[in-house]
Amino acid sequence: MVGEPILVMLVEDNVDHAELVIRTLEEHRIANKVRHFLDGQSALDYLFHRGDFAGQPQARPHVILLDLRLPRVDGIDVLKAIKEDDDLKAIPVVVLTTSEAEKDVARAYYNHANSYLVKPVGFEEFKKLMDDLGFYWLSWNTHPDIKE
Amino acid sequence: MTKFANRLFHIPEYSDNESNVVARLTYNAAIGLALLSLAFVIISAVVAPALLERAVIMAFMVIFTSFGVMVLIQNYKLQIASILLVSMMWLVITVGAITAGGVSAPIFIGYMIVILAGGLIPNKRIGIFISLASILTGILVVIAEINGLLPPPFQYSAIARLGIYIFFFIVTFLLQTSNTRSLQMLLKQALQSQAQYKSLLENIPATTYINSKDETAYTEYVSPQVEKLLGYPRNMFILDTLFWKKILHPEDYERVMNANHAVNMTGELFNVEYRLITKDQRVIWVKDEATLVRNESGAPQYWLGVWTDITARKHAEEEQADLVSVMTKRTIQLQTAAEVSRAASSILDLNKLLPMVADLICNHFDYYYVGIFLIEESKKWAILSAATGKQGQQMLDTNYRLKVEDSSMIGWCIKHGEARIALDVGEDAVRFKNPLLPLTRSEMALPLITRGEVIGAMTIQSQLPATFTHVDITALQTMADQVANAIQNARLFTERVNLNRELETQNAELERFTYTVSHDLRSPLVTIRGFLGYLRQDAESGDLIRFDKDLARVANAVDKMQALLNDLLELSRIGRIINPPEKIPFREIVAEAIELLNGPLEENDIRMIVQEESFPNIFGDHARLVEVMQNLVGNAAKFMGDQAHPTIEIGTDGEDADKKTIFFVRDNGIGIDHQYHERIFGLFNRLDPSIDGTGIGLTLVKRIIEIHGGRIWIQSESGAGATFYFTLPHA
Repeated sequence: MVGEPILVMLVEDNVDHAELVIRTLEEHRIANKVRHFLDGQSALDYLFHRGDFAGQPQARPHVILLDLRLPRVDGIDVLKAIKEDDDLKAIPVVVLTTSEAEKDVARAYYNHANSYLVKPVGFEEFKKLMDDLGFYWLSWNTHPDIKE
Repeated sequence: MTKFANRLFHIPEYSDNESNVVARLTYNAAIGLALLSLAFVIISAVVAPALLERAVIMAFMVIFTSFGVMVLIQNYKLQIASILLVSMMWLVITVGAITAGGVSAPIFIGYMIVILAGGLIPNKRIGIFISLASILTGILVVIAEINGLLPPPFQYSAIARLGIYIFFFIVTFLLQTSNTRSLQMLLKQALQSQAQYKSLLENIPATTYINSKDETAYTEYVSPQVEKLLGYPRNMFILDTLFWKKILHPEDYERVMNANHAVNMTGELFNVEYRLITKDQRVIWVKDEATLVRNESGAPQYWLGVWTDITARKHAEEEQADLVSVMTKRTIQLQTAAEVSRAASSILDLNKLLPMVADLICNHFDYYYVGIFLIEESKKWAILSAATGKQGQQMLDTNYRLKVEDSSMIGWCIKHGEARIALDVGEDAVRFKNPLLPLTRSEMALPLITRGEVIGAMTIQSQLPATFTHVDITALQTMADQVANAIQNARLFTERVNLNRELETQNAELERFTYTVSHDLRSPLVTIRGFLGYLRQDAESGDLIRFDKDLARVANAVDKMQALLNDLLELSRIGRIINPPEKIPFREIVAEAIELLNGPLEENDIRMIVQEESFPNIFGDHARLVEVMQNLVGNAAKFMGDQAHPTIEIGTDGEDADKKTIFFVRDNGIGIDHQYHERIFGLFNRLDPSIDGTGIGLTLVKRIIEIHGGRIWIQSESGAGATFYFTLPHA
């Protein structure tokens, strides 16, 4: 996938959840445009061209789907890093998590999350959310110019 | 003129009696001579007209001279006046004798009067000179008569001769009478003033005495007041001249003798207050003031002293001093009580309050030692909780304790809930002799009672015998009551703080629990429900391969949920079910945990270092503590990374401030970065999802340690291994 312009960056430690997201997005034929990261550290390495991704120019995502509880670097810290970076902060970040806790919602928005979504329990509900999410962020939404 | 005459006949007062008498005599003599010479003129005119001329001349001279003498006496020129008078008489007699024909002339007898009058002159030498001059003049007259230098003797008739003789007799008589009367008057005056002095001396409200001038101080005289003062007959002091030293109060003897010695060296005023013992054995205070009396030439004669009874004054002074001392003591007590009260109401930390109270009481009252004992939970022992001084610290260091029973004062006091005093501790069998407090002579034990319950006792010890009074006990018991209440307050406060802290911990835990349920339990549910939908799709499309895969995902999520639920149940059990604590050698716990982990430890070829010899016995729940060690050692084994020589060390590292043993489990594995040190103990927090587990292990460990009253913390750097420290109370 390297070299191809990707549309969605998915940061999710639960492989089952990632599979669910990817499958539902398949219907929009952008499944191959989803790039999955298992933890915060690798996601940041990708965005900041460092670690395993050092020295290779990487495609910028149109939108980032971010889980909050992540190993190594936590979701909120990933969010902070993106929003504190002059270049990256333009990328919309959608928090996608199982937590309904007010504390988490508040912290996410406080750190400039663009949206906060709770993973629904139920197949239809999950599908519906992914449909809407796909339409909204990838079809309806106008994105800032993507720099390579 | 009348005024002058009045003044002339008024004899002025001279400063001393002797001068007064001489003045009167001279005066009288002058007037008498003037009158007699006038009488002589008259007599001459009648009986011997031939003598008239001479009698007139003589009378004139006498009257004139007498007048001069009186004026001189008026002007206090007594000596000159008397000399003038006598000289005038001498001149009259001499002229008379010469003109009347010498020794045979009757006037010659007049020299006798001159000599007699010479006695009037204050200066005795002049008196003698006049006598000699009269005799010499008589001799010269005789010589002149023998040599025929004098006119022929005058022939007196027998009557004339008698007249002249009578005249001289009368003069002699008058002078003599006047002299005698004056002497009698002087004597009377002297006697009278002596009687006055004596009466004065013997009626003043003080005893006077005369002591010998040397240091031995023999009594030479003592006034009768001594009988009233001391009850001893006055004779005692005269017969036994050193009797006064025998009735001196023994405690004052040396002081008085020293003072006596000192004034006999210097001759200064002796002024000492001391005690004497009366005949009826009373003790009285006297003020003794004595002056060394000297004669005209300054040689010491005797000591003249006065004893004044000052017993009443002394008693008043003593009473006042007593009152001041009592007031001072009360003031100190009040001040101490105020400070104890302030400390008791403002300090809630017993570790600060009790030493402060002990020091306050000990310092303010200048006691030897103050200690505060508190009863421990079983109520069998009173444990020394605060104590003053070096000895106190020494006893605190050795955990000094006394049994609550009659074998010690503190034990007795706590058992009976009453104060107890031993005024000379040697006599009170209940005192437990303490070799660290060898100087104690008085001891007081006060119970600390709050809400009717004895919670301890305070011991107060003094180096003085019999130093505690009932008032002291009351005052100190009041302070003890305040301390007892303060202890109770502090305990209640600590209890409340602990309760609050526990509640806060439980709240935080509940919050974590809610979060966990809403997040961690939700996570597998999302998976299950999501893939259940795809399972239907798989079944409909006949994609059996994906069906199997999706089914495995669902099953996996169910298992995970099951594990989480089990862990949650386990965690909630720890708080509720805990086995009664028992005394266990920590060595056994470690051995059991290692036994349980035998598989993974051997698999990974991990070297175990166990400092068994340092392990104490501990108090706790056997099974739970094994779980703790199992988790910690298991974790250490799990996070070894690619360490070539994996090693786990278990040991102890001294004690913390609460005297709990610090244990540790150290590994040389991958370590944990600083930022995660807090998070690792949180519920279901896993740092590495690639390693098995729900993330409950350290949460469990923390719970168990905290339930045992201990703490747990970590010391680690990323990549440099980790050391988990935890504390447990030793048995």
